[in-house]
Order: sequence, then structure tokens, then C-alpha cells
Amino acid sequence: MTGLETFVTHTLHGIQYGFVLFLIASGLTIVLGILDVLNLAHGELFALGAYVGFTIIGYLTGLVAPPTTLSTQLVFLGVVLLGAALTAAILVPVGVFLETTFFKPIYGRDEVYQIVLTFALLLIIKDVNKLIWGPSPLRLQDAYGGINSIPVLSRVGLTYPTYNVVIIVIGLVTVAGLFWFFNRTKTGRIIRATAINREMATAIGVNTGRTFTLVFALGAFFAGFAGALALPPRFASLDMGANPLVLSFVVIVIGGLGSLRGAFVAALLVGVLSRWAIWQYPPAELAAPFAIMAIVLLVRPEGLFGTWGEMG
Amino acid sequence: MLKAIGGTALAASLAGCTALLGDDESSQSEGAVDVPDEPVQAGLQTFTEGAAAVLGLQTQYGAELAVQRINDAGGVAGREIQLDVVHEADAHVENYKQFVDEGKDVTFGPTSSGGHAALAPEVENQGVVNVGTDGTVTTLYEETVPDPTYSFRFQNHDVMECVAAARAAVDRLGADNIDTVAGINPNYAFGKDEFSVFKSAIQKLTGAEVVYEGYPDLLAEDMSTHITEVNDKQPDVTFSSNWGGDVTTLLNQAAANNMFENTQLVGSVLYSAVNDLSKDVVEQANAVSGSRNFYWGEPTPSRWEPGKQVLQDARDQWDIVPSAHFMSGYGAVAAWATAVEKTVNLVGGWPSQEQIATALEGHGFYTPAGYHVMGQGHQGLSNAYYGDMVWDDDLGAPALENISMHSPPELAPPPGTTASEWISSW
Repeated sequence: MTGLETFVTHTLHGIQYGFVLFLIASGLTIVLGILDVLNLAHGELFALGAYVGFTIIGYLTGLVAPPTTLSTQLVFLGVVLLGAALTAAILVPVGVFLETTFFKPIYGRDEVYQIVLTFALLLIIKDVNKLIWGPSPLRLQDAYGGINSIPVLSRVGLTYPTYNVVIIVIGLVTVAGLFWFFNRTKTGRIIRATAINREMATAIGVNTGRTFTLVFALGAFFAGFAGALALPPRFASLDMGANPLVLSFVVIVIGGLGSLRGAFVAALLVGVLSRWAIWQYPPAELAAPFAIMAIVLLVRPEGLFGTWGEMG
Repeated sequence: MLKAIGGTALAASLAGCTALLGDDESSQSEGAVDVPDEPVQAGLQTFTEGAAAVLGLQTQYGAELAVQRINDAGGVAGREIQLDVVHEADAHVENYKQFVDEGKDVTFGPTSSGGHAALAPEVENQGVVNVGTDGTVTTLYEETVPDPTYSFRFQNHDVMECVAAARAAVDRLGADNIDTVAGINPNYAFGKDEFSVFKSAIQKLTGAEVVYEGYPDLLAEDMSTHITEVNDKQPDVTFSSNWGGDVTTLLNQAAANNMFENTQLVGSVLYSAVNDLSKDVVEQANAVSGSRNFYWGEPTPSRWEPGKQVLQDARDQWDIVPSAHFMSGYGAVAAWATAVEKTVNLVGGWPSQEQIATALEGHGFYTPAGYHVMGQGHQGLSNAYYGDMVWDDDLGAPALENISMHSPPELAPPPGTTASEWISSW
């Protein structure tokens, strides 16, 4: 590999990793920004997405022809993405159920109630995953290899997995869609207004209870979507929710608590800089994201961006 | 065969040789000794959930198969075994104390190296024999508990499998063809120790230069940075001690990044992911994998039927292909049970913990993996296996071909010598 190829490949790894982090952290930061709840169970919703994705994508890919020609490869890719979208959709009622049943009674109460509740939910969701899918890790057969068999960057002489390119494209579309939703749609503006001033929003007739439910469901949607998309290159396991949760905290702290734009910038920053750090100094793997966070907080203690609603 | 394995139905059963016995010649003179009626209470701690369950459940199933065979053969000196299994989590000492409080006669496990290092001193304090399944950190009986009484370990330690890996790489590629090596190993003590030993051994055997060392976190979702560096450096051999789910992630992502075109992958426990790998990845990888002290196909079934029988039992009961961790559970139970049965006859009754511990020192016994010795230093010593990992259509899973078998004297430092001293002396 030439020096340029190595640089480009490492940078692409970082961008792809950054988008994965953003997909996970976006749900967490939206919930934090609007509901003012730090959801410790968010990582388990990500894991639930991976398990549901295992079932749905596994079923759907079993219905189509193996990805041996370009047309079957494209169909295969479409089916995997459809499966991920369906998985995310299934997480919506899960989010609605959790919010209306467990979160509503604790709004406005001391933060310790949130911590206890969300930690309890973390354990419960993990046990539900174990009950349904068993204790062993699960791997989605053939999805990753099938999509990677589609030639994309190999056409320009670069060795880079097509699935990672797909993640980058989906990440870009998701970011654009989220900013469009919150900036250009009535519902998005209502959500932002609620985030900026909950009492005023209520006074002008916004149903904040319904808004909260919608926001939590949105958070669950993105956690599930991220879990399903993260599955093909790796495996689903009961402990897979912990690392993403911790890294999501890093991302939203760097970006500014509750800032969606901050989460986006921070995710890419952590993704790219941590990959570069590992490239230059492999033992930095564990410390890199936290070192980036420490440096950012030294310069800007409130994070890169302000609170969510105003900066959406 | 009956005489060769010690002459009891239980020992024959654990060796997997009951079919060769004909009519049961009965255990021994159980009626002549004073043995309690109640079942033996045994506890096993291993990973029963999470990513490490890829190893832990194999260990559990192996232990359960050994217990089934013991009980079917009439028990240990007539006593059946009841096995309790708990998730080792990060509570190795607490689990062991709980077992002791519950009055367990023997304990087995753990799988984790760090957990074993924490557990062993407590075993010495409490005085209830623990036969470790894995937790293969080499320093356990060199530094952590240098003079153990009640703590034993069945599975080969890290030095043995890493020296075996270096020898297997040299066997296949030739010392003259290995000029550069790299490592992608898990980012904790086990991964760093394994690469350190492999590095020392391969450098002694070939003079190779280390061009890259990467340590992805356990359960890392992304190993692509390390893979890209291997692609960039193109080492002749890349060593990995990744295990379980991390093997799946490494092989999938390495295949996606064409890493196998640039290096020969040699792994100490790649075969631990036997039930999770897909055909295309296995065929692209063409990896060399270790299988610790057990591979079901070696010795070949035509010469040694018990390995194949274990495969069949594992498939029938749990729908898995057994890995070395299956034998870790099986062998730990077998070591204890055969030692106790031998001791019952010697002492004329059920032995104390001290007597069992004494009997285990230097104890030789058979399992379907072959013959094992529990060394005087409380470390199990067994042959180690390496092979080319290939896809087996009949099995629907990877198998190992061109097996190389290495005996303990080739792999383990002599008593009183540390691994680094031993390798330096080559």
C-alpha cells in the first residue's frame, strides 16, 4: 500500500466508525436534550436492535437468492437495509412502552431515580434478550460477505469493504434527514421548542407528554437502527451494549450535552482521531476516545456546542 | 484398554472406552470401603452468557458430559456427582466462596485468566480443591501461587500454546521464509502475554523481526485499523490469540479487507469460534489454528474412537462442534474423579481435601483427548494440537487438517525454570 492509500483507508475507517457512533449517540442525545433523562439503558436498546436485526435480516436474506451476480448482490443489499429499517421500526413501540410505563412517572424527580430506573431497565432488557435469543453470541451468516462482494471502491483500486461505504452513505442520509426533520418540519420545531422552554411550549398548546413519548421512541428507533447495522461485521451478544453506551457518553460530552449537531461533529472527531491514534500508536486504542474528550473539555468545558434545542 | 487406563469402569468411561470393556467389571471393591451415600456436590464457574459464553458454554457442556458418564458408570466410588454451574462474571472469588459455603466437595473453573489469578490464592486459603478449566495465564503457578496445595489447572498454559504456535508456523512456512511477524491480540493480560511468548519463540526459531503489534479491545466492533496496518506491513506471519466472538469479528473484517492475501494468520485459539464461522471466511483465511489439548479428530478416529464419540455426543445433545474448551470442562472433572477413585481405595474411605490434593499431584489419566498428567507443579500437561483450518461440508463447520501434535517437553519449561529463561536458552 502507498502512504496515501494507507492514509485514505485509515481515514475512511474513522469516518465509518464515526457514523456508527453517531447513529448510537443521536438517540441518547435527543432523549437527554428534550427529556432531560440520561438513559443508561440506551446501550441495551442498541443490543436489542442487533438481536431483532439478527432475526429479521436473517429471515429476509433467506428469502432471496445468494448474492452471486451484481443484480442479486444489489437485491441482497436492499433486503439487508430493509431488515435494518424494520428492526428500527419494531423498536418504536418498545420505546413508546418504556416511556409511557416507566419514564413518565419520574419526570421532574431527583436524578437518582433516573439512574436507578434506567439501570434497572438495562438489566431487564439484557435478560429479555437472553430469554428470547439465549446466552450464546449470534452471528448473521453471509450478510457482511454478501454486501462486500459488490465492487465499489475496488473499482478505483482501493481495498475497502463495501459494507463500510454503505454505512457512511446511510450515516450521511441519516444526518441530513435528522437536521431536516428538526429544522424544517412542524413536529421537529415543536420538539425543539419543547427542549428550549418546556413551560412555554405547554402554554402555547403543545402536548408535551406526547412530544416526550415521540422523542423517546425516536431515540429507540435510532438505537435499534444502529444495532441492526452494526451486526453484520461482528456478532450480537448480551454484553454488546456496554461499550457503545460508554462511547456515546464520550460523544455527547464532547459535543455538548444534548446537542445533536455536537453529537455529529464529536462522533466524527472521535471516529477519525481515534483511528489515526491507533494507526500511529496501537496501544492508544482504549485511551484515545477519552483523551480526545479530556482535551476538548480542557478547552471548552461545556463541550463543542451548546444545548440541544437552540443549536439543533 | 481397561488396564491401560487404570482399571476402573469410571476411568474407562471418562476415557470414552466403555465400548471396549464388554460387560461391566465393576468399579472396584466399593463395598469394602467406607464411602458416604449422598451425591458429591460439585460447582463449576464459567461464562454462561455474553461473548465469552462461546468458550464458557463449551466448558459447561464438557463438564456435564463427564458427569453424565461418571454417573452412568456408577459414580465416583459409588457416589453420583451433582454439578452446579454458575456464571463466573467478574466474581470468581465470590463464586468460589459461595460454593464452599454451600458445602461443595469440589469446584471447577474458571475460564478467565485474570479471574484464575484472583481465585487461586482464595482456594489455598479455603482448602477446597479447585481444578481450573482454563484461565491459562502462565504466571499462575510461577508467581501468583508458587507453592499451591489445593489449586490445580487441567488445560495447558499460555506458554505451551504459544510455543506450539511458533513451531507450527515454522513447520508450515519454514524458518527461512519467516522474516517478519505481526500480532493482533486482545487488549488485556492474556493477549499481551500470548504475543510476548510467541514473539520470543518465533524470534528464537527464525530471527524474524516484529513489524506490527495491535491490541483491539475485547469485544471490539471494529478491528479494521489493525488489519489495514497488517496489509501495509505485509508480515510473513500474523499471530492472533483472539478467541470466541472476537475471532469471528477479526476473520470477517480481515476477509473484507483482503488481509489474507498479505499474510499467513496463525492463531492459538481461532478454532474456539468453530460454531460461528462461515464457509467463505474460513476458505479465504486459510488460517493455522491451535486447539489447545484437544481436537476431536486427532488422533484419527480410526486409531482412537473416543474423540469422534465426543463429537457425536456434543452434536446430539447441544448441537455444537466441541472445541478445546469443551475438553477443559471434561478434563477438569475427569482429573478430579479419577484421582478420588484411586484414593478411595488407598485410604479405605472417602478422602479428605488434603488427600485428594496429594493424589492429584502427578496423577495420570485418560480422556478422549488422550493421556494427561497433572504435574507436580499442579499444572496439567498434555499434547497440544495445531492444524490448517478448512471448511468441512459434512460437518457444516471448520475442521483442522494436517494436524501437528506437540508433546509437553517440547512446549513447557522444565520445573523451576521460567518461560523466558527457557526460551532464551534455546
